[in-house]
Amino acid sequence: MNIAVKHASALTALSLTEAADAVAKGETTAVELTRAALDAIKAGDERVNAFIWLEGDQALETAAVLDKVPMSQRGKLHGVPLAHKDMYYKAGKLSTCGSKIRAAFRPGYTATVIERLEAQGSFSLGGLNMAEFAQNATGHNQHYGHCHNPWGLDYCPGGSSSGSGAAVAARFVYAALGSDTGGSIRLPASLCGVTGIKGTQTRVSRHGVMPLSFSADNVGPLARSAKDCARIMTVIAGHDPKDATSSKEPVPDYEASLDGELKGIKVGVPRNYFLDDAAPEVVAAFEAMLEVLKGRGATLVPVTIPHMDAVATYGGVVSRVEGATIHAEWMRQRAQDYAVHLNSRLYASLGIPAVAYVEALSRRGPILKEIAAAVFTEVDVFVAPTIRCKAPTLLSTDVDAGTPGALDAFNMLSLNTRPINYMGLPSVSAPCGLDSNGMPIGFQVQARPFGEGKALKVADAFQRDTRFHRERPPGFPA
Amino acid sequence: MSVDIKTLVKDEAAAWSGVAPPNAVSEELAAGFTSLITGLTALRGQLAFEDEPSSFEAALQATKEPSP
Repeated sequence: MNIAVKHASALTALSLTEAADAVAKGETTAVELTRAALDAIKAGDERVNAFIWLEGDQALETAAVLDKVPMSQRGKLHGVPLAHKDMYYKAGKLSTCGSKIRAAFRPGYTATVIERLEAQGSFSLGGLNMAEFAQNATGHNQHYGHCHNPWGLDYCPGGSSSGSGAAVAARFVYAALGSDTGGSIRLPASLCGVTGIKGTQTRVSRHGVMPLSFSADNVGPLARSAKDCARIMTVIAGHDPKDATSSKEPVPDYEASLDGELKGIKVGVPRNYFLDDAAPEVVAAFEAMLEVLKGRGATLVPVTIPHMDAVATYGGVVSRVEGATIHAEWMRQRAQDYAVHLNSRLYASLGIPAVAYVEALSRRGPILKEIAAAVFTEVDVFVAPTIRCKAPTLLSTDVDAGTPGALDAFNMLSLNTRPINYMGLPSVSAPCGLDSNGMPIGFQVQARPFGEGKALKVADAFQRDTRFHRERPPGFPA
Repeated sequence: MSVDIKTLVKDEAAAWSGVAPPNAVSEELAAGFTSLITGLTALRGQLAFEDEPSSFEAALQATKEPSP
């Protein structure tokens, strides 16, 4: 690729891998990419509110230093400006966790995933907006202002990694880390028309990352494409001695396996649960996506996913109880410093008995084995809409504002994502259409544990024949 | 259900965690646990005597993607 015209919109139009490769070839520089990103943020973030804090001058200084590093010493992400959900610790830097309670929190150590990204030459522009303590699916934030969806400013960007989805969609950054406990990477990926991956439970270190639910929390990227996500996952995945729960399973080069070839790949299409009461426009986009996979050589196989009632019930119990436990002290001391939608959820979760929680944890392994035996002996992956409904507005889901029906709309969003966290499976969400309001629709691909490569391969193959991941929200960058 | 779930959650949260309902929405959410209890009730009988929480990490290994 030759970037003949290095104006801002040409640079921000690049994907993460294209930007990194352009820096590696000397076609652009870290300073040029950073200036383009900062220009886009200056022109657009007043509308989107993706950033909680921004350190533009410092980022430019870092970029200038990186531009002097000899080519032979550069990593896979050298010179690429990123920004992350404001819950990834970096020693001495602000990490608000989207909250009033941690408005001035500056951790004394750095997250392993941030160290790994920086070791490959990337750097951060600032902290991205997020649901307070990563606990809503919509993108509301009462303390730093709601994050808005660049595709339609009245619409939910999705949460809890709202700023990550919105910033990537608006071309403010090339990729952003999010976190996913019940869908918090995949929901904003779907609603903002970008690509995101949550790995197998234990695949990525959580050291230095704000906890929500130690059984279900996952770290992962949101980016323009499956290829971008593959590159970042290759960098951040793998065992970390500082996180004893992280897996020692070897990490393949996920990007190397993306060849667009789906011949011999069996794709499961759920007969049950995932399409129940789905909006017709979502179903139509999903079915059109299936035809693209078929055209690439995949075989479509109807599958019944067993135990979905149990998965849906238990999944909510685990994350709610663990979240309530972590926040119990602040709930005793500072309950009014949380937004209503959050302190109400934390309070109610304190009433779930321990036996229900332990039952939910105890059934997790046996259920995973039975799902694997029933599904992954028949197919390589299974797919589903990431969200069953059309993109809702911020107003229709605003629990704090007392909007009638908001609680139901709020809970509807994560029906298809939360079960995957309980199963512990890797899952990639990618865009596959626009609804009649011009808002993105996404689908998700699930593989066996540690089958991230296969899920990425399917999403990448789809993106080779479609342009949904290349589409930009109207007016971004300005 | 004969038990008032709102009162039950209020008593549990106060007795075990020292937390009072912060607002009306919190009590509405607590009342919504009726459906969660119904869901858990429907699942009774599935938990085997040998099941225990640590089996999940083993299950991830047992069901993982085969190496190429």
